[in-house]
Amino acid sequence: MLSTHPIRATRLYGSWLTALARRRTGRLAATAVGVALAVGLLASLGTFLSASKATMTKRAIDTVAVDWQVQAQPSADPVAFLAGVAGTKHIVASEPVLFATTTGFESTKAGTTLTTGAGQVLGISDRYRTTFPAQFRQLIGVGSGALLFQQTAANLAAQPGDVISIGRAGLDPVTVTVAGIVDIPQADSLFQVVGAPVGSQPQAPPDNVLIVPDNVWHQFFDPVAAARPELVHLQVHARLDHRLAADPAAAYSDVTGQARNLEVHLAGAGLVGDNLGATLGGARGDALYAQVLFLFLGTPGAALAGLLTAAVAASGRDRRRREQALLRTRGATTGQLVGFGFTEATLVGVTGSALGLALAVLVGRTVFGTMRFGATTGAAIAWSGAAAVLGLAIAAASIAIPARRDARDLTVAAARLRIGRGRSPRWMRWGLDLVLLGLAATVFWLTSRNGYQLVLAVEGVPTISVSYWAFAGPALLWIGGGLLSYRLTDLLVGRGRRLVAATMRPIAGGLSDTVAASLQRQRRLIARGTALIALTVGFAASTAIFNATYRQQAEVDAILSNGADVTVTTSPGVVVSPASKELQAITSVAGVRHVEPIQHRFAFVGADLQDLYGINAATIVDAGRLQNGYFQGGTAHQLMATLAAQPDALLVSAETVHDFQLLPGDAVILRLQDGATKQYIKVPFHYVGVAKEFPTAPHDSFLLANASYIIAKTGNDAVGAFLVDTSGRNVAAIADTLRRRLGTNATVTDLASSRKIVGSSLTAVDLDGLTRVELGFALALAAAATGLTLWLGLAERRRTFAIATALGANQRQLGAFVWAEAILTTGAGLATGSIASWALSNMLVKVLHGVFDPAPEVLAVPWTYIAAVTTIALTATLTACVVAIRSARTPHLELLRTL
Amino acid sequence: MNTADRQSIEVVDVVVRAVDVARTFGSGQNAIVAVHGVSCEVRAGALIALTGPSGSGKTTLLHLLAGLDIPTTGTVTWPAIGTSDQLRPGPIAIVFQAPSLLPPLDVIENVALPLLLQGVDRNTARTTAMNALRRLDLESIAAKLPEELSGGQAQRVAVARVLAGRPRLILADEPTGQLDHMSGAVVIDALIAAATEIGAALIVNTHDAAVADRLDQCWSMSNGRLNTKATAPC
Repeated sequence: MLSTHPIRATRLYGSWLTALARRRTGRLAATAVGVALAVGLLASLGTFLSASKATMTKRAIDTVAVDWQVQAQPSADPVAFLAGVAGTKHIVASEPVLFATTTGFESTKAGTTLTTGAGQVLGISDRYRTTFPAQFRQLIGVGSGALLFQQTAANLAAQPGDVISIGRAGLDPVTVTVAGIVDIPQADSLFQVVGAPVGSQPQAPPDNVLIVPDNVWHQFFDPVAAARPELVHLQVHARLDHRLAADPAAAYSDVTGQARNLEVHLAGAGLVGDNLGATLGGARGDALYAQVLFLFLGTPGAALAGLLTAAVAASGRDRRRREQALLRTRGATTGQLVGFGFTEATLVGVTGSALGLALAVLVGRTVFGTMRFGATTGAAIAWSGAAAVLGLAIAAASIAIPARRDARDLTVAAARLRIGRGRSPRWMRWGLDLVLLGLAATVFWLTSRNGYQLVLAVEGVPTISVSYWAFAGPALLWIGGGLLSYRLTDLLVGRGRRLVAATMRPIAGGLSDTVAASLQRQRRLIARGTALIALTVGFAASTAIFNATYRQQAEVDAILSNGADVTVTTSPGVVVSPASKELQAITSVAGVRHVEPIQHRFAFVGADLQDLYGINAATIVDAGRLQNGYFQGGTAHQLMATLAAQPDALLVSAETVHDFQLLPGDAVILRLQDGATKQYIKVPFHYVGVAKEFPTAPHDSFLLANASYIIAKTGNDAVGAFLVDTSGRNVAAIADTLRRRLGTNATVTDLASSRKIVGSSLTAVDLDGLTRVELGFALALAAAATGLTLWLGLAERRRTFAIATALGANQRQLGAFVWAEAILTTGAGLATGSIASWALSNMLVKVLHGVFDPAPEVLAVPWTYIAAVTTIALTATLTACVVAIRSARTPHLELLRTL
Repeated sequence: MNTADRQSIEVVDVVVRAVDVARTFGSGQNAIVAVHGVSCEVRAGALIALTGPSGSGKTTLLHLLAGLDIPTTGTVTWPAIGTSDQLRPGPIAIVFQAPSLLPPLDVIENVALPLLLQGVDRNTARTTAMNALRRLDLESIAAKLPEELSGGQAQRVAVARVLAGRPRLILADEPTGQLDHMSGAVVIDALIAAATEIGAALIVNTHDAAVADRLDQCWSMSNGRLNTKATAPC
């Protein structure tokens, strides 16, 4: 009788563990590897999530020029207000900014007077540009004195050194000499309406802006403030202490809380324009997308590793049952048998979890540059703890629970049944696979029919949510696809014995019927292997296709933002004709394949000022790498052909079509600046189609027209930008050369830099790391799902092979059994997995639509990676078969002694 | 009888001959000599019981005689059969102590398997297998899987498999070791009947005196050495 005394029991389980470790090393190691993959993947993804969130927060902070714009209310005492803001705990630097509304600017050029509409004049201190360097970007001229906004400079045709006049309501205008021209990258924030109600439409920034030193501002506008106080206001621009929480949501919560706190502290004297909070609000949406990607791409991987562990453990179940029977005959109680199962599960779970965490540290260090599992200590403990618990749970579910069930419920007769003629599994009889696939289609249709948003981030609401319901579609499709592959294999091998025998004749010869019979009786085992491979291939291929499509769209997005490999944008006030020396300077650079000049003008559509691009329709499709998705109602080639066929043709944005109720063929009168007089003149166009996107164009509304027509009507052939095609080679080097050659006459941007800044912080930074982790684990899972499970299955049948060898089967005849099983399992798994991955990829891309901007026209298939997965699966299968056949070639004397 | 005649009869008669055979497992201080100095000869039609305590080398000797193992020293030859690569499938058949049927094949497929391995066509193999089963009154279980059989039935099917292959030498390693007395007797009857019917030599490794008594000769092993006697009982 086996002992139940605690100390003796401990010794008993200790001896059992030692024996397991010594005698079942291979199987235990294989099971632990499965656990390690699951734990490693989960922990690595935790690192990804953590690294992503931290990067998003940092990026969000870096992109904000001014954290807070605290606006004094009309009744506030300016001195107390300034002191109140400056004394706030979290503010590390602050500068006052004075705003005044001007009636307009005026300049005189070659005897012609140019005027603008109303605008803003800002007064800043001489420390402002040092404290907030990203607020203004110097284009030309000097950095102090009167600085003119580039669009205003274009409207006034003004350059540094020119004198302009500033209109003042009810007072005489004053004049100032322009010292430099600047861009205001974050004009939307700078001119926001502080304290605007939540959900109100953002106000467009003014087109006409002048920045002057604060003493000059006081000189010009103190009289205005006295007469018309509503035309001036005071803001304090503040930079906060950036030691914020790593999680964007937590950082957002901190910053918005501090803003509210300041407002309370100011007691109605000021309102906070929380630029940092707004940006962090966007980043927390991205963080949620990272979480979504984790769920979409990571959970199936961890689940797969769990299934793999269960499959590996199941392949040793017969042996475990025999051991249980032996132990029972030696007097072991059911409790002790269960204890042995749990002891084995604990050993595997602890070892696998430790290996998995070590793997995750290695992956985190290599891929994400961090060894932490979370952005905070709490998160790190939670992630590593959750991953380890998952490992223990997988080990328990794979080893301990089946062992417990066998020990408690299994009869001796039932334990002997290895093949069984039992009925199909319940889920097959209930048609669960078909139900799941039907549900997947239904959920997908329900969630995508109305253009739903996966991530809901309502402005002004501190919490954001994910439509987790949408996850059900791909999840159900994946599981349903796996089960369907089981059903199909079961059907093929069970009912199609003759077909299988005929197929296997080339390798099995006269044994083909016997081999087919053997396969038929083991069809559940084969179907299980097939389903596992199908799930793995489905996971690996769909992840790879999703990632490749994502990269493809990121590239499109980068091209859309930058325009071309290298884009040369002329500086305001610098007039460059298509045949200018600048063009010569660009084309003469080694590596430049083609240069496409594009005109950039501002045109009035009614009272709305929009960007107008004059293009050469014959060459722009290739030069600008125009995608069909940029246009509505036709392909890029079709719409460019329409444009080329009609000189006064005009493509407008959908928003403009809607606002002006345009129909194709409608006449559209634009007001464009005349090249000679600099006055706005009416130029007739005809609306022919809709452009949604265009390289270098803003996202909201813009116009496309024939460059030749614009030149003919305005007499102005000035080029706004040159799109430089380098065939994608030496982009950064060519851009550097162009910067040196063109100096301050133009701004040179390149695709490599653009890639880093396009899109959200999530899309630009971390998907590469996620991709490497996902795809790396997918390859390991593919190898394990094919080779490891097949090898363990074959190893478990060493006794069968020993009998066959003792009966006289030669290597070729043994190989017939092995190869037939391997070909059927791997072939069916790869085939059904490929179909599942195609369907999954399409669904994933549609469900994760929000991640893509613009939406992809076609899926990008990474053939190299898919070939690698296939090669690894086939190599692992081949290796498992060769090892099994070679080890069975000579009769195993130890095994024969047990026969 | 001249030398040539004697050699001719020997080739027809002697199915296996061991000359000064030894088999050592391991090396150095850990070396275990399982069999040593064994010389013996088995003629066609001989019914031999091989007895001896556990660990005496019976199974090792059986494996050597079957060509499943190679002697460390000495030689084993099969004059009436041929070279070592011609022994299986066909001339030598083995019955094991534990059920040795292939789990995924049904009874008739298991019995037909050695014939198929020899290259016999499927229909002939199945007909021969069914005849062998019928001879042992097992045709009613022809479509059953091994896991659906009792231990005695499984061993009788293993005997049917031997019978179907019509071997020259049958080696049975404790074929009744896991069976009750009654079932064991049935299996031994079947083995003797099969060997007698096809004229094969039969060596049965057994602990059971009752089994040994059923056979014509009794060889015993002790500490790896073989002691042959001319007749039973042991």
